[in-house]
Amino acid sequence: MPILTVENLSKFYGPVHALKNVSFSVPEGTVFGILGPNGSGKTTTLGTITDILKPTSGSYRLFDEPASAASRRRIGSLLETPNFYHYLSGKKNLEIAAAIKQHGKEDIDRVLETVDLTQRKNSKFSTYSLGMKQRLAIASCLLGNPNVLIFDEPTNGLDPVGIAEIRELMKELHHQGKTIIMASHLLDEVEKVCTHVAILKNGELITSGKVNEILSGEDIIEVAASDNKKLFEILLKMNAGIKVIDESPAIKIFFPPGKADLAVVNSYCFNNGIILNHLMLKRKSLEARFFELTNN
Amino acid sequence: MLQLLKIEWLKVKNYKAFWIFTILYLVAILGINYTGFYTNSLTVQNLPASQIVLGSPYSFPKVWQTVGFMSSWLLYFPGILFIMLLTNEFNFKTHRQNIIDGWERKEFIDVKFVFALLFSLIATLFNFLVALLFGLITTGSHFSFEGIENVGYIFIQTTAYIMFAMFLAILLRKSGAAIAVFFLYGLIFEWLLTVLINFKLNLEPVGYFLPLQVTDVMLPIPFGTKVIYKNASDTWILTIAGIIYILGYYFFALKKFTKDDL
Repeated sequence: MPILTVENLSKFYGPVHALKNVSFSVPEGTVFGILGPNGSGKTTTLGTITDILKPTSGSYRLFDEPASAASRRRIGSLLETPNFYHYLSGKKNLEIAAAIKQHGKEDIDRVLETVDLTQRKNSKFSTYSLGMKQRLAIASCLLGNPNVLIFDEPTNGLDPVGIAEIRELMKELHHQGKTIIMASHLLDEVEKVCTHVAILKNGELITSGKVNEILSGEDIIEVAASDNKKLFEILLKMNAGIKVIDESPAIKIFFPPGKADLAVVNSYCFNNGIILNHLMLKRKSLEARFFELTNN
Repeated sequence: MLQLLKIEWLKVKNYKAFWIFTILYLVAILGINYTGFYTNSLTVQNLPASQIVLGSPYSFPKVWQTVGFMSSWLLYFPGILFIMLLTNEFNFKTHRQNIIDGWERKEFIDVKFVFALLFSLIATLFNFLVALLFGLITTGSHFSFEGIENVGYIFIQTTAYIMFAMFLAILLRKSGAAIAVFFLYGLIFEWLLTVLINFKLNLEPVGYFLPLQVTDVMLPIPFGTKVIYKNASDTWILTIAGIIYILGYYFFALKKFTKDDL
C-alpha cells in the first residue's frame, strides 16, 4: 500500500508556478527524500499534503484514502520551522500537540528523552536555542509513535552532534518499519538516510525512484600508458562501456553502474601489446550526478 | 467541542496576558460603575434638582441598562485580548501546526468563536452581578427583574465587539494593525460615519446599523430619554441586526480560514 500518492499536483502563488504537475508515490516502509535546491517546491509539496496549502489543481491520498484530519493525526509532521507557543514550556506545548492528535500525556516524557530535552522540559519555548526548538519539533512528531513521519529539513539549525543524532534516529525509525518522508536540499543527507528519492527543480519533478538507482552515476575506469594515442585506438576497438574519452594524461572509459571490470580492461590491453601504467576505478560523484540531473 | 475547548484552555491557561487582561477588564467593570454610581450620588447630593434630569440610574429597574451602558466603554479590553489570542497563532504559526497535527480547519475557527462566546457569557454574568450589587446598595431601590432584557443586550454587545475584533485579526493577521483599526474605527470613524449617514445624507436610522453602533444603540445613555438616538429603530430590530453581524464575522472567518493557504 502506498503511504502517499501525489497526482498531478500544481500550485500557483499568484503568477509564480511553484509546482508543475508533480506526481509520485511513497511506498510503505521507505525513507523517501524529496531533494531539490531552495525554492524548488519541496515545502510546497509537504505543505499541500498536510493541508496548510491548497493545491491549484491535482490531488493526493494518504494511506491510500482521501486525506483527512484523521489521516494527519496518524502522521508526525515537522514543516519548515518548529511552530510552538512561545510563552509555554516545551512540555506544555507537547501536551497541546498530544491532545490535538488525541493521545494522552503518557508519551511526552519518552519523546522528550529521545531528543534529549528532559532537562529543559519546563523552560519556556522562547528560551530555547535554535537546535533545541528543532529537537522539540521532532519530539512532537514522535508523539503517539506514528508509523509515518514527515520531516522538512530535519537537521536545520542543529550542530554536528545533533545532526548525527537525528540521522541515527531516522535510521532507527526506518528499522522499526516506519515510513519517513523528508525534504532536504542536502544531497549527502538524502544519500545517507534515504532509500527512495524524488528530485524537484523549479517545481518540476525531474525523477523519482530508489536512491541507488537514481543517484548512482556511471562507473569510470581511468587508464594511461606511455603511448596514449595507441591505447585510445585500441580501446575504441574494444567496444567496452558506453564511451571512451581521451583526457590525457589519462583516458576515461564510462560504464553503466556496476559493469566496470578492471581485470578485463587490463588483460585486453596487455593482449594488444600495451602495458598500462595507470588503471583505476572511479565513481562519478553524487554532486556531479545531482547537478547533471538538475541542469537538464 | 468539549475536547477542542480543553485544548483552547491549555493555550490560554498559562498565558499571562490573558489573565491580566481578563482581571483588569472585570475590575474595570466594577470600577467604572462605581465611578458612575459615586458621581451620580455626589451630583444629586450637591444639586438635588439634577435628579429630574438624571433620574436614578443605579436603582432598579434602570440599573440593568446603566451598567450595560457604562461597561460598554470597556469592550476594547476583551477586543484587544482576542486580537492577541488570534494573532499569536499567526505569529507563532501554530494555526498551521494545529492543522498539521490533526485539527480540521473548521475546528480551529469553531473553537475560537465558541471560546469567545463563553468569555462574553462570563463577562455578562459579571455585569449582572455588578448591576445587582449597585441596585441593592442604592437607597430606596427594590429588586426587580424589570428591564432584565438589558442583560441580554450586554451579552450581544460584548459578543459583537469581541467578534468584530476577531474578524479584524483574521483579516489583517498583524496585532498592531488590527488593534489600530479596531480603536480608530470604533472610537472615531464609526461615529463619523453614523453622523454623516444619518444627518448629512438624511438616511436616519441607517447610520445606527453600523457594526458596533448597532449594539451601542441597544444600550443608550440611561437618562434624557431618547435624545441621542431619537429615531433609532426598535430594539428587536437592532438585536437581529447585531446577531446578523455576529454570524457574519463567524462565516467570514470560516470561509477565509478554510479556503486560503495558511
